[in-house]
Amino acid sequence: MAKSITSSSTAEYFSKNLQQVGFSSQTKAILTTVKEAVDNSLDACEEEGILPEISVTIEKVGAGTLKNSDLIKVRVEDNGPGIGADDITRVYGEYLASSKFGRGRCSRGQQGIGISAATTWAQLTNATGVKVISKTKEMRLAISCVVEVDIKHNKGVMKNKETIKWDRSHGVAVEFLVDGRAQVGGEGGLQTYLNGTALVNPHLKLTYKLLDNEPVTIDRVSQTVPEIPDATAPHPHTMKLGEFIAHSHLFGRITIGEWLKKGFSRVTDGTLKELVAGGLKRNLLGISIDKAKDSDFRDVFTVIQKVPLMAPSTKSVLTIGEESLSKSIMRLGNVDFFSVVTRRPTICDFKPVVVEVAVARLQERSQEHSDSSVQVLRFANRVPLQFDKSGCAIVKAIESVNWKTYGLGQPKDSLPLGPYVIAVSLVSPFIKFKNASKETVDASDELVDELRLALIQAGQKLSRHIRAEARAIDLENKIRHIEQFGPILVGGVCRILGAPEARKKKATEGLMKLLGRESREAEKELKVAMIGKEELAAKQKKILGESGDEAQELPTEADENAEVVETKPTGKKAAKKVAKKAVGKKVSTSKKKSKQAEKSA
Amino acid sequence: MARGEHVVKVSKELCTMLLRDLENARRPVLEATKCSLDNSRYDFKRGYLTPGPKKVRTELNVSSVQKMSRAIFMLEILLRNIETGAVNTKRELYYISKGEIKHNPELKPLDFADQDESDSIIDFICEMMECYREDLNCYANDRGGQTYSQQLVVTETLPDGDKAVVDLSTLGTTPFQPKNRPQSLKLKAKKKIDFCLIVESEGTANTLVANGFCKRNNAILMGAQGVPSNAVRGWSRLIQEELRIPIYFFGDLDAYTMQNIYRTLKAGSASSLIRNSDFSAPEVRFLGVLPEDIKKYDLSDYPVKENDIQEVRALKKADDALKNDPFFKDKKNKEVSEILKWLLKNKRRCEQQALFTVNPRDPIMPEKIIVEKIKKGVYV
Repeated sequence: MAKSITSSSTAEYFSKNLQQVGFSSQTKAILTTVKEAVDNSLDACEEEGILPEISVTIEKVGAGTLKNSDLIKVRVEDNGPGIGADDITRVYGEYLASSKFGRGRCSRGQQGIGISAATTWAQLTNATGVKVISKTKEMRLAISCVVEVDIKHNKGVMKNKETIKWDRSHGVAVEFLVDGRAQVGGEGGLQTYLNGTALVNPHLKLTYKLLDNEPVTIDRVSQTVPEIPDATAPHPHTMKLGEFIAHSHLFGRITIGEWLKKGFSRVTDGTLKELVAGGLKRNLLGISIDKAKDSDFRDVFTVIQKVPLMAPSTKSVLTIGEESLSKSIMRLGNVDFFSVVTRRPTICDFKPVVVEVAVARLQERSQEHSDSSVQVLRFANRVPLQFDKSGCAIVKAIESVNWKTYGLGQPKDSLPLGPYVIAVSLVSPFIKFKNASKETVDASDELVDELRLALIQAGQKLSRHIRAEARAIDLENKIRHIEQFGPILVGGVCRILGAPEARKKKATEGLMKLLGRESREAEKELKVAMIGKEELAAKQKKILGESGDEAQELPTEADENAEVVETKPTGKKAAKKVAKKAVGKKVSTSKKKSKQAEKSA
Repeated sequence: MARGEHVVKVSKELCTMLLRDLENARRPVLEATKCSLDNSRYDFKRGYLTPGPKKVRTELNVSSVQKMSRAIFMLEILLRNIETGAVNTKRELYYISKGEIKHNPELKPLDFADQDESDSIIDFICEMMECYREDLNCYANDRGGQTYSQQLVVTETLPDGDKAVVDLSTLGTTPFQPKNRPQSLKLKAKKKIDFCLIVESEGTANTLVANGFCKRNNAILMGAQGVPSNAVRGWSRLIQEELRIPIYFFGDLDAYTMQNIYRTLKAGSASSLIRNSDFSAPEVRFLGVLPEDIKKYDLSDYPVKENDIQEVRALKKADDALKNDPFFKDKKNKEVSEILKWLLKNKRRCEQQALFTVNPRDPIMPEKIIVEKIKKGVYV
């Protein structure tokens, strides 16, 4: 006889499979714990329109119970709306309890697994749950408690509950004591995660102290909380039959025809006509959905899949914006120059997607990193992705771009080289991850193409900086060339002829006069190039310096034929004009130069 | 040292022109003969490739000032060599220039990164002054042209005026190595010499000598060692001019031999247009292997391998030569170009050593065939 079949709770499943959700190694365990807590804080703040202020502390407390591990205290504190007393156990102690599940919005968290998994990890390695302090606006005193997961029943259990005074009107502080090893630097390190999070969340003020390192504060550069667009109604082409039928249960007694128009996006009266034309019985549309049989739904579903529909709306995605991204990228370090691109939302694999790219050259990286690959920062719904780089759509897209045309070195089919940071952010209510721990984005052809376009645009902008620089070096070389070789040439000729000093002097003067004409022109060109470059840099600086909602934009599209118009920037339009002017000027300089080169050739 | 004096004179003229232009703040322009196939002319009567009217102009400007400074710097070294009678190879000149720069920090910007850079400057000087690098006392190593004869006596005038007499018959099976300055050599025949045979493969030439070729024939036997060097070309020219004997070339039947080795020996090359007059032997005849020899002697030949890049490239170049090379285009060289056409059409090749298949037990069979071909006039 077969052994008896038992069913187990979700919590049991995850407690045995924590590696699937980011707890696959000691270092990843710490990172995932921080990540889940910070993501939750950011989501909660955004939900309530609060400018987030988050502090993260990682401390080594002692030796862990696992082999070669430390006992690490992870503390994350926010100024979010706080969690009500009843919800605390559900948030931290119950799997799949989420306010965000399947809503089709671009939030960081989606299913409600992560933070409960962190609690489980703490419980498994250190036999204690998570310490939570929470205060909502309505509470007079804050709640302090410990939450544990009742693994058998997938339920949160609250212990040591007490009310305490807390010096803030609302917020949450969580403290995990877990086994693991804290990795600060490197691609998979805590610092990369925190800095990356700051980059794509310009409105975030972040303070962190990692182990014995000095505390770091990253101030916010944007005063607006991004508005997360509401989810749009589902698109029939993105559903499966089961989902389709289940969707009908949300609506009362309306006809199938009405339900299709109301409950889905991109379904209109015209669509209904096409359904009939496509072979659907007209009377089916008149049946009330509560009376419809599964076979009726099946018929409707089959026909609607064949009818061409407009692609789903892209309203449900949000962007960081070029302005905020430019300001934010300056927080990465000493940025020489940068370029940012925000693509218009688009549809990839029938899902709305928006791609944003920021490329920056960092001064501190230029010494040791001139021959190594660029640093890639990947973001999905504004959460850094730090593992399994090679299989990711973003990395594939970067490798597919020919960066040599923009002045960067690049071995064949690999990442470009140099002291650059390439940050790519992908936002979509439905990102297809390769695994439950959300480490890599699945590389569909359409998505890679869209990412590629964004990268190419960023590369083109970047190349303006790089080229201006190359031109300056080239011109400087020219001048040095004349000064170096002129006297040697004349000296040699005079020695061969035994010419007197007076002739030598005269010839040197003549040569200098001759080459001087060229060098003076070279100097002039150098000046123009430098002015052009500085102008552009000043422009970017200005944008970065101006805070608030002042409408300023970086040049988005290069208008090669832009006319040069002298105006003082007074707003969005003027800023654009000035930007165009800078571009136009540069083009004319390079044209002049190429003409000169032709002549001398 | 008439050539040397000429070089000194031309150099001084060049420098005078340069200095005068500079004193007047005028832009100096240097002209050099363009040494390439598209500037090559061929006249059958003359027999070798000569330069056409095309010149390469180098204007002194920011981009060329480095090249010009380097040329003047190198010229100074070369003129000093001519004055003292010192000779050097290109590689030695590279190191001499390195040394000069090392001891004079002001010259540091001129420093050559590798020998290719200094070599190209030496070539540039030669083209500018229309002289041989040998005129600048810059010699290549003596490669190829190892010569055997029982009748030939060579008299060499040494730089200090002394004379050295070499009787080739006293050398046994040791070859005489011709120098690539044929002007200093004088030739004399102790006994009437019937012909001169130049064999493409140095090894086969050795074999012929070892088997007694020179004992049985009143001849000069020379190994070319692949594409003929200046030494081989100048030496062949000297034999042609001083001894007035028929010269035959014997080598592989393939596109590379025809257009690179034989053409260069007979008419010089496009890259040395200005000195082909002294470095080519227009009277050389192609003795074989001829296409007809394959049938006649039942030689083992084989098809050109389609996947052998070198051979395929040689065929492609042959096709190009038939269209653009004035030597092959000249109607008077029809017999030679016919062979090229045959090679292109049949895509087969036959090596010179194939003569050894005719009678594998008779070591002097190749010699017999060669002599028979000469006697019967089976050559082009």
